[in-house]
Amino acid sequence: MSSDLDRQIEQLKKCEPLKESEVKALCLKAMEILVEESNVQRVDAPVTICGDIHGQFYDMKELFKVGGDCPKTNYLFLGDFVDRGFYSVETFLLLLALKVRYPDRITLIRGNHESRQITQVYGFYDECLRKYGSVNVWRYCTDIFDYLSLSALIENRIFSVHGGLSPTISTLDQIRTIDRKQEVPHEGAMCDLLWSDPEDIVDGWGISPRGAGYLFGGNVVTSFNHGNNIDYICRAHQLVMEGYKWMFNNQIVTVWSAPNYCYRCGNVAAILELDENLNKQFRVFEAAPQDSRGVPSRKPAPEYFL
Amino acid sequence: MEKGEDTETGGGDEQGLDLRASGAEVLPDGRSGLRLKGWHIEARNRPILSSLALQQWEQKLGTTHMPEMIFGESSLVLQHIKSGIKLHFNAFDALKGWKEESLPPVEVPAAAKWKFRSKPFEQVILDYDYTFTTPYCGSEIVESDAIKEPSKVGTCLHWEDCDERIDLVALASKEPILFYNEVILYEDELSDNGVSLLTVKVRVMPTCWFLLLRFWLRVDGVLMRLRDTRMYCSFGDDHNARPVILREICWREATFNDLTARGFPSDCAAYSDPNLISQRLPVINQKTQRLKISW
Repeated sequence: MSSDLDRQIEQLKKCEPLKESEVKALCLKAMEILVEESNVQRVDAPVTICGDIHGQFYDMKELFKVGGDCPKTNYLFLGDFVDRGFYSVETFLLLLALKVRYPDRITLIRGNHESRQITQVYGFYDECLRKYGSVNVWRYCTDIFDYLSLSALIENRIFSVHGGLSPTISTLDQIRTIDRKQEVPHEGAMCDLLWSDPEDIVDGWGISPRGAGYLFGGNVVTSFNHGNNIDYICRAHQLVMEGYKWMFNNQIVTVWSAPNYCYRCGNVAAILELDENLNKQFRVFEAAPQDSRGVPSRKPAPEYFL
Repeated sequence: MEKGEDTETGGGDEQGLDLRASGAEVLPDGRSGLRLKGWHIEARNRPILSSLALQQWEQKLGTTHMPEMIFGESSLVLQHIKSGIKLHFNAFDALKGWKEESLPPVEVPAAAKWKFRSKPFEQVILDYDYTFTTPYCGSEIVESDAIKEPSKVGTCLHWEDCDERIDLVALASKEPILFYNEVILYEDELSDNGVSLLTVKVRVMPTCWFLLLRFWLRVDGVLMRLRDTRMYCSFGDDHNARPVILREICWREATFNDLTARGFPSDCAAYSDPNLISQRLPVINQKTQRLKISW
């Protein structure tokens, strides 16, 4: 079995997608592993934390060049593997294959894009349809999304989540009791963990002008960290030009791992390496060179627009 | 090469011939643009603003909320060399327009459910226009890069409504395109609730230039909004004469409810390309104007 899997991993590393039947089998195996994980998955140091990837496969390969290969390096990915980029299928399947092959050396938690509804609007659904001619692979993958853990806790000291905090959650035990095996709901604790953002201009809780979506201020982070005896929160979810950004006196950090986001922003990306003593080192990296990533040149073709 | 920077390769042989035949001069040093018939036309595509620059913009604009991707150094400039008339398109002026218009926020569908959530202690509801809707139609000044002529001090440009129309027949003819570019000025994903995008694209032909500045908004399940500004200039025989520049402003808008009531699909995925759906959106504001110069 592992030789089959190793072959699939090698294939995916070349950005070649698996057959539909292989995806189905891989997802079944992944499900058996993920179902055992806690909503607050324990992770040991040393570990390297990565933020949003968004289907930028060749840029994720740059990430592995900088951070080292799995299983040699222990990885924690904070979600948003799919949508927006051109290679969501290959990106997610490679991460999932690594998870099945080395379950203790890579942790995948859920981002707000790991959802049926969002992927139908922002690219992954269309990509599956285009690459496989049917939506079966999208179904297998989105079924797996429901099993992904919601957060991770590194050495009991660093809390990691895709989006942020929720006003209905003050302890980690409250997260542990969520029934996560479902589509991401439109409201409630699970929604907040995947969607909310830190915000400078509020102290406590803010509601986005959209009428949905929480923003949380420095006081909220201070009391959460204090109450749960953690040093800081590590999250992703928001584009940062410099790849990472501390807020609220180093109580929360955003890590962003999609360089030149959407192939046009020109931003750098970062990963956060923690050694066995939890010493931090941010590793900043750039997008893969244009010629190596099979993306059409950014120069637009002349068009007789009216 | 700096990331996000253009490389102008000069195009294929055919384009090279067209350029020479029309007397166009490609800009040097890898810049993207050309000089033609008394005009200097240049596009700059640059990376998004750094966090530091973003803070400075927030201060200058008096806001704490900005689109997540601001291509603040990107621009499109069209300058008529003799008259000094300079038309330019940039994110800063567009965001000034957003700040001034300051539309009320648009609620997303999930907001209905959120109203029933128990409220945390100490909660504020933010109320800025997160769609970054702007009435921006471009910026214009008179700026002579030759010696400053005192007579031009106090020159003022303004747009006046007119009955002339942009010559769509001329634009429909497939003249060779000597220069084409698209510049994104800002973009926001509305935290995965749709898209807000301000872009300008330009094409320059042997007899005229034409551009489209477009603000495109889709709030998933709620609203679509298009604000287009088309600008057109036909080159006269005398390159030193004052150019005639027309612009047509056309705003369209529809709610998803309107569209479904009219039998169109209601899923957001059907509305990713504004070109394909613009005709379905009713026009709410339309006018044609001509650029006037008063000395």
